[in-house]
Amino acid sequence: MWSWIGQNWSQIWQLTWENLKLGVLPAVYGLVLSLPLGIIAARWRWFYPPVLTVVTIVYAVPSLALFIALIPAFGLTDTTVIIALTAFSLCVILPNVVAGLRAVPAAVTQAAVAMGYGQLRRLVTIELPLATPVIVAGLRVGVVSSISLATVGQLIGVSSLGYLFIDGLQRSFPTEIYVGLFLVIVLALVCDLVLVAVRRALTPWLARA
Amino acid sequence: MSFFSWAWDWITQGANWHGADSIPQQVLAHLGYSGLSLLIAALIAVPAGVAIGHRGGKATVVVVNIANAWRAIPTLGLLILLAVFLGFSALTWLLPLVVLAIPPILINTCEGVAGVDPGVRDAAKGTGMTTWQQVVQVEVPIAMPLILVGLRTSAIFVVATATIAAEIGLGGLGRFIIDGLASNQYGSVAGGALLVVILAICVLALFALIARLAVPAGLRKQGRAE
Amino acid sequence: MITFEAVTKRYPDGTVAVDCLDLEVPAGQTMVLVGPSGCGKTTSLRMINRLIEPTQGTIRLDGTDIAARNPAQLRRGIGYVIQQTGLFPHRTVEDNIATVPVLTGWPRRKARERARELLTLVGLDQGLARRYPHQLSGGQQQRVGVARALAADPPVLLMDEPFSAVDPIVRAALQDQLLSLQAELRKTIVLVTHDIEEAIKVGDLVALFRPHGKLAQLAPPEELLAAPADDYVAGFVGFDRGIRRLSFVRTAGLALGTGPVLPADATVAKALAAGEPWILITDPRSGTPRGWADAVKLAALPGDAPLGQAAAWPLGHTFTVGADSLRAALDAAVLSPAGQAVGVDGDGRVLGVATFDQLRAAIQAADAADLPDAAVAADAAGTAAVAAGGREVPRT
Repeated sequence: MWSWIGQNWSQIWQLTWENLKLGVLPAVYGLVLSLPLGIIAARWRWFYPPVLTVVTIVYAVPSLALFIALIPAFGLTDTTVIIALTAFSLCVILPNVVAGLRAVPAAVTQAAVAMGYGQLRRLVTIELPLATPVIVAGLRVGVVSSISLATVGQLIGVSSLGYLFIDGLQRSFPTEIYVGLFLVIVLALVCDLVLVAVRRALTPWLARA
Repeated sequence: MSFFSWAWDWITQGANWHGADSIPQQVLAHLGYSGLSLLIAALIAVPAGVAIGHRGGKATVVVVNIANAWRAIPTLGLLILLAVFLGFSALTWLLPLVVLAIPPILINTCEGVAGVDPGVRDAAKGTGMTTWQQVVQVEVPIAMPLILVGLRTSAIFVVATATIAAEIGLGGLGRFIIDGLASNQYGSVAGGALLVVILAICVLALFALIARLAVPAGLRKQGRAE
Repeated sequence: MITFEAVTKRYPDGTVAVDCLDLEVPAGQTMVLVGPSGCGKTTSLRMINRLIEPTQGTIRLDGTDIAARNPAQLRRGIGYVIQQTGLFPHRTVEDNIATVPVLTGWPRRKARERARELLTLVGLDQGLARRYPHQLSGGQQQRVGVARALAADPPVLLMDEPFSAVDPIVRAALQDQLLSLQAELRKTIVLVTHDIEEAIKVGDLVALFRPHGKLAQLAPPEELLAAPADDYVAGFVGFDRGIRRLSFVRTAGLALGTGPVLPADATVAKALAAGEPWILITDPRSGTPRGWADAVKLAALPGDAPLGQAAAWPLGHTFTVGADSLRAALDAAVLSPAGQAVGVDGDGRVLGVATFDQLRAAIQAADAADLPDAAVAADAAGTAAVAAGGREVPRT
């Protein structure tokens, strides 16, 4: 096994890097899209239920099917996978943005208004920081699932660690499959831990709880 | 040509509705694989989740960690690994589908039961209900919205994974996709994908209906989507 | 100065929270809004900083209609303290206090210095500055809330049931802190509470509300106790208002007798010769009281024995002549086995005792003169605590 790894190291590294991109970028884009939508949904209650329905439906679509649906528009490229996974990430992160903002204690919001905070400043300096733990939790799910789902993209030829699965299947070579599985899981775990560290760094007040 | 036009053309071709490997057959096959896996997973996960949620304690922490681990596992890789070792048999697809379908059900059931208001639990015990009665008459009905969310999440997941399992030879709607990709026939690929999407949405609708029927009117609320 | 002119708050479903309210809060005074749940007191308070907008009527702050001012600007000039504190969990104590100064453009360093000054002002240790709110006790958090409200030195302070969420001991300490702060700072304070005792203790003026937003009586606390406007007010104020009213009457000119007071080294014979049913035994050197001796029991002792040998009943408590109120004196008399209150000076030295008759005379004199401090010159030894101008904290 190890000799094979040694020989194909550069290729493995390349695939890992691809998979990482295909996992992290959608989550980041998903966050960027979720924030404004979530802020609107937290403020204007009527907005959220229809948005949530759309999100539930999109999330139900199997990843492979969504990749395929996007092929005519974006081709057999990374973009297709990234757009599809961004949609899924959004489905996971948006509810957390809303939940996080709604969980800010009413007394805190009231005190902020009473002290003369304008809406935007209050959002940026009080509400979002307090919603951070919940938002990061959503981001973690987004990143981990994206890393895992990115491997399915291999079925439409988009390069990722999924290549090791397909190739291993075709050659009946379990070693490759093991390595692929291991790397995907480790990659997901590492990203998860990085995000936990980020959350700790952003929420010093929780550390002394 | 757009995705829909490809798919629509293919689906409306009469030939695809007859013979072996026809659309109706694969739809039924897909439903069969998905349904069976979900059923077995539910039979294992629901009682386990209820028991753990009722008892509380350390086990609930373990359950939460299972959720995180579960999402990291690439289903394609797992299916392929099993296929390489076990060849292609019922176990090759059933085992991973069941095992992977368990966590969402387990977690949501556990959360649902554990989240029952302690005051309500207390009242149930106080009126002299046996443990069985407390669980069946009070805790499970209250936890029903979350239990259904867990089952729905699993159902969607199983439908998706069964699609991918076509790569290791499983029948069902995935066949149209995988075979179509292999032979460069985008029509079949698109058609299969559209059918899977429709199926998934039907599953959603089915669960919405079940929720309306099974959840007591006083409890309609949003559960946690995985 | 804050004025309410025919202010009404009506909600879309028809509920009237505040009904045509006319109220004037004098500058530099504490007005307490008190009443049952749903009487509109909190709604009225929150209309002052425009957290709620009135349906009709005008509210003026120093003559200007607040509706004409920018809400955020208005609020930065008004301190606001609420029951749940609303401290920002993600900021340190000093950054919480520094909120409004920073908001109005102060450099952070200067704002933090100001925050630390305020920590001392509200009676908290400087060491708490870098802690987070959840690391503080309930009482400490409330003090931080008050410090935060005072940080930008606003002329007006609004307080919505600020002390309701803490236990009675902490609450009493916080109320005392508020009184001493007010004596020093002289802010215009509007405080909402459902506790009539708090209103009486803390308020210069008390506005008692009826259900559904109508004002029942607006008066200083003594007047509320002495002359409630109607049965509703009397009922709300409580059945023992007669005795509680005595908290506002000083004991400065109370007549005291010294007949029963004897040092412990006096003889039993001398004590019996005084002809009193009870003798107060004092310490020969310090003059502080030790206890009451029953004359009947004394008769059983040899005539030349010192009083110190007699068994003495405990005093209950004493009252400080001049500084304490008639209520404290009355309570001391009730607790005393002799039915007489022991009056001491600032050092605890016995000045004399007051019987129920003497107390009754003092009460009637206060009623007749219709002034709280009916008595003449303060007793020099015992009234070092009389503050200039402001309210004292009478010991009840």
